[in-house]
Amino acid sequence: MITEVKDPSIETHNLTVVYNKKPAIWNIDFTLPKGQIIGIMGPNGSGKSTLLKSIMGIVDPNIGYVRIFDETLDEVRDRVSYVPQRQSVDWDFPASVYDVVAMGRYARKGMFKRLNKADHEVILECLDKVNLLPYQNRQISQLSGGQQQRVFLARALTQEADVYLMDEPLVGVDASTEQSIITLLKQMKSEGKTILVVHHDLHTASDYFDWLVLLNTRLVASGPFSEVFAEDILKDTYGGQLTTLSKIASLLKEKSFPMRHK
Amino acid sequence: MTWWQEFISFFSFAEPNVEIVFWGSLLLSAVSGLVGSFTFLRKQSLIGDVIAHSVLPGICLAFLIGKEKDPAYLLIGATIAGWLSTVAVDFISSRSKIKSDTAIALVLSVFFGLGVLILTNIQHSGMANQSGLDQFIFGRASAMNPADVQVFAVVDILITLVVLLFFRAFKLLSFDPQFAQSIGFPLDLLRVILSVITVATVAMGVQAVGVVLMSALLITPAAAARFWTDRIRVMMILAVVISAASGVIGAAISYTSSGMPTGPWIVIVLSAMALLSSLVGKNKGLLQARLLRWSNDRKIAIENTLKSFFYLTDGFEDDPGPISSKTLREKSRMHRADLRRGIFFSRLKGFLKKENGGWVLSEEGEKISKETVRKHRLWELYISKFMHLKPDHVHDDAEGIEHIITPEIEAELEELLEFPETDPHDKAIPKV
Ligand SMILES: Nc1ncnc2c1ncn2[C@@H]1O[C@H](COP(=O)(O)OP(=O)(O)OP(=O)(O)O)[C@@H](O)[C@H]1O
Ligand SMILES: [Mg+2]
Repeated sequence: MITEVKDPSIETHNLTVVYNKKPAIWNIDFTLPKGQIIGIMGPNGSGKSTLLKSIMGIVDPNIGYVRIFDETLDEVRDRVSYVPQRQSVDWDFPASVYDVVAMGRYARKGMFKRLNKADHEVILECLDKVNLLPYQNRQISQLSGGQQQRVFLARALTQEADVYLMDEPLVGVDASTEQSIITLLKQMKSEGKTILVVHHDLHTASDYFDWLVLLNTRLVASGPFSEVFAEDILKDTYGGQLTTLSKIASLLKEKSFPMRHK
Repeated sequence: MTWWQEFISFFSFAEPNVEIVFWGSLLLSAVSGLVGSFTFLRKQSLIGDVIAHSVLPGICLAFLIGKEKDPAYLLIGATIAGWLSTVAVDFISSRSKIKSDTAIALVLSVFFGLGVLILTNIQHSGMANQSGLDQFIFGRASAMNPADVQVFAVVDILITLVVLLFFRAFKLLSFDPQFAQSIGFPLDLLRVILSVITVATVAMGVQAVGVVLMSALLITPAAAARFWTDRIRVMMILAVVISAASGVIGAAISYTSSGMPTGPWIVIVLSAMALLSSLVGKNKGLLQARLLRWSNDRKIAIENTLKSFFYLTDGFEDDPGPISSKTLREKSRMHRADLRRGIFFSRLKGFLKKENGGWVLSEEGEKISKETVRKHRLWELYISKFMHLKPDHVHDDAEGIEHIITPEIEAELEELLEFPETDPHDKAIPKV
């Protein structure tokens, strides 16, 4: 069940990424609405992270392409912000909370321009939005998982983008942090921002998302939440189909079957 | 002259050659601390090793072509070979199923083997001026000449400028490359630039420390500096200072014991500094962690000892008089050593007095005793209520937590629990 929208925020065409001959995402073809909170769900290894990375140009798709606001990524890069999975960095790095959040401003300043007073104010404001202002001088390794997650969120906020791609921002945070993050996302949505969130918990999904993308290497569904969140579709994503699909994927790898390369 | 006099005389630049060795070692090792900080932060010590071993064939070929030990030639030869080795590693690990550490080992041994082969040939050919080439294996700073130092100075300045210019980009590349790419930093270009300055640094450094130990000169200064600070800039400056000092001291030691290669000495000094940093550095210092543990253990021993009095006197309702060490040992459920320590320190701090061959608590001691039980029972109540644990599962947890609850947390707990009177086992929560 795939619902198309007019004037999409993000659209992908035949997006395919292959690692070591094994497809991580395969022929993803969708259009996503603007100004909504969009959940991306699927079992482990279903390609959620890969999807975000290929939208962000961090991995090059083997086939297919992405358009954001009907432009290429390079044309609208300063309107898109990416929040990586928390575990993707080493939190022992010698940096304070403030240092990491300030990195978000590099998106506007580039590699060489100095940060000025206005940047400093944006940084403090964003720290405040995630309740980390009192922690701004703390070394990042001395934060809890939930606090580290909020550091990444604050960094993204300083980019002042229109589309946010967040990889599992709710993993490893306690219930009250989860609530405050969701409140923040809803507030961002009310300002017209589009937010993609990779999420794992089926139970809370209905409270959070307006739109749902179900992924299992292939695109299983993409549409308004209430239409997609039906038992048979979920079963397609998480249940029986999974084994067949992953069998095919392994077979491809085993037989060195050529996927179409670009 | 004694060894020590000779060591000191090195720094007085009595002989002209000494001045060259001094500046040469300083320039080499300082820049290594600077550039190596990024190698350290990116956890690429293995790559440092490959580059270091792989410059050898470059140096030898440059010598064969130039027929003499021209520092600029050698540096260029070394840089090209080092660079090729990193390209080879990337190529192998991205184009085949071979994992990157295997690729690294492969490239390292092929390049180094090739280097040793050419080196042996040169030495057997009886070519003039070949002397000093073997210094590249373990390094000999004393073989440096004024032309070397000039080249080093120029390269140092260039590399420092590049690091200053690209500092932000290199920092982000080291911390979160995916994010760097997402905001449009040219990651591939940055990696190439960082690779080039790393290779150039190694190509210079092998003259003093040799290929075998060069990667230590890259990584160790930053690793040592990291113990002292959480700020990347401070860390890098410290790394430069530590590295430069080790370079000079190592060169001086090897100078005084003539014939000794420099590399091992520099690395020994460097390792000593790293060890010292790990012991006394303010950050994650082992010694500091040890001290903290000691003081925690002491607090726990004291509080547990005092707490036993609470149980033995039924919450200070009874007055059984002085309690003997024997009774304490039998009833307190503490390890003997902990109890002995607890008694010792409690007495030292005046919480405990000896009376008629037994122990009694001072007023202060009684307060701490009650306070500890109070925190214990508050915590038990808290976790059984909010984490829905059965009352018989909460005791062990509280045994640990009771010692770290601060007055603020205690007040918070009380409020959350609406000023309770009893714990989950229906025992009274003592007031202080
Ligand atoms: N760099 C890589 N090299 C090789 N295979 C990879 C790489 N990254 C991901 N994969 C593979 O691609 C598939 C999809 O991975 P991806 O990380 O996108 O899944 P995911 O849905 O985000 O999983 P999770 O829920 O565990 O985060 C997995 O089978 C994974 O093993
Ligand atoms: Mg993922």
